[in-house]
Amino acid sequence: MLANVNATRMELLRLRKRVALASRGHRLLSEKRDELSRQLIRIAREIQPLRKRVEAELLETCRRFMLARATMEPEATKAALEVPTKKFSLAVKFANIMNVKVPHLSKEMEGEIICYGFATTSGEMDVALLALERAFDNLIELAEKEKQARLLAVELQMTRRRVNVLEHVVIPELHETIRFIYDKLAEAERDNISRLMKITDIIRA
Amino acid sequence: MPELAEQAILDFYTYPPIGGDDWRYTFQTAQVRTLEIQMLSRAALLDMANAENFEQAADLLSGSEYALPRGGKDFAEVEEILQQRRAAVRELFSDLMLDEPTVELFRTRDDFANLRLAVRRTMTEKPLGTDYSSGGNVPPELIEQIFSEEDVFSKPVFPDYVQEAVEQAVLAYYQQKDIRRIDYAIDSVQAQYNLRQARRLRSVFLLGFFRIQIDLTNIRTMLRLKFTESEQPNVFLEGGFIELERFRHGLELGYEALGPLFFVTPYHRIVDTGANYLASNKSFLRVEQQCDEHLTGFLKSTVLITAGPQPIIAFLLMKENEIRTVRLILTAKKNHLDTKLILDRIS
Repeated sequence: MLANVNATRMELLRLRKRVALASRGHRLLSEKRDELSRQLIRIAREIQPLRKRVEAELLETCRRFMLARATMEPEATKAALEVPTKKFSLAVKFANIMNVKVPHLSKEMEGEIICYGFATTSGEMDVALLALERAFDNLIELAEKEKQARLLAVELQMTRRRVNVLEHVVIPELHETIRFIYDKLAEAERDNISRLMKITDIIRA
Repeated sequence: MPELAEQAILDFYTYPPIGGDDWRYTFQTAQVRTLEIQMLSRAALLDMANAENFEQAADLLSGSEYALPRGGKDFAEVEEILQQRRAAVRELFSDLMLDEPTVELFRTRDDFANLRLAVRRTMTEKPLGTDYSSGGNVPPELIEQIFSEEDVFSKPVFPDYVQEAVEQAVLAYYQQKDIRRIDYAIDSVQAQYNLRQARRLRSVFLLGFFRIQIDLTNIRTMLRLKFTESEQPNVFLEGGFIELERFRHGLELGYEALGPLFFVTPYHRIVDTGANYLASNKSFLRVEQQCDEHLTGFLKSTVLITAGPQPIIAFLLMKENEIRTVRLILTAKKNHLDTKLILDRIS
């Protein structure tokens, strides 16, 4: 930067304005970074127990389903689960957290999850499907939170890099350039004064 | 020819009569008695259930007909072997049975399973496919062909019972546009067909078996309806020993009152144990185990028959039950399920 700089008073003024702008940006981005970190920690704290709960629920569902499938004839399992009656739709809305668009998921379900007769199927299948239905609420909440956390984490990473660049590269370089121009201008001023003094001495002699 | 005497619930203590000897089946019964010795013992199944892992449980099968190929312990292979064993036992059954209608009657189970799938697919406008079971009386290709022509009713090409099941299922579906109604209708037609055929074959054993099966299905249905809090009192199957009003009344009672409600029936222990287990563990494992045990007990009472179709039918059904138990244990071991769960289901 120093090689290409024009050591003029105009440039000095322009750079001083840039330093002020960069400092303000740094302060704002630091605040954004802190708030993003706070939000991310809050969401991460919510995710941990939720994920454990969802994993436990899904494990229970799988366990029941495996028991049901093992005790039923393969044809009966196939016939029972071939055509589901439960309809599931997912609506996605976006909320704004520190200028990050995070999704807000809401589900709509209709119909019965138990979609078969009773004579050739196992009761464990009912238990498995009802457990799966119950797990959906937590599963969707988990998906929403994890997506939010991921988006906030990406934004946090970007913001932190911007803050670091401003703090450790842009602002110090601008200060260095300003000092360089200031020195150059001061030297030119001193040259000018000494030249004038020499001319005065010549005239007086 | 005199009518087949219908038993009432007060006419027997635990199991209904199984009929008398039929000396045409002397050789076949002897053959089945020999094969029964080779079935997995209760101790062998308990050893498998208590095995530390899948490999150990599979190794316990190495001396039996379910032996897995060396090195191959993939579950798809296990399923393949179990399917082969089931097909073999059904083949043996059809070879041993002298009465072809009885063989056809047991093959209809696959027909009804195929129908459930085909009618569901047709009603929901899904591709029909040809992935139906080939163990029934109606070939899978014919099912696909007839249903894809969309004139199932105009040309009666199916056997009567299939035609009736299709008609009832379609009618039931369009009454409420509910997929489950298809299954309810087919279940009902299947139960009535089984009873009709048992009477036609004049088999006291088959009639008793199907009536017990209907009762046990109704018991499970009652508990399942209570558990899911579903209000469908008309899904019980008719033709069992127990009157339907008792099951409907059971839907209005708490779990603890179900045992006394069935006190005068042979199913008192099943309902009492099953309901208590369901209430405390939210699981149907115990009631299903009790139902299987009751049915197996009835089948084992054929040991008193010196010669007849009863031991052969009992062998088929017990062998199918054994295959299901082996599948259950291996599935549970493969997926690291708790041993207690397996024992609750099989003990």
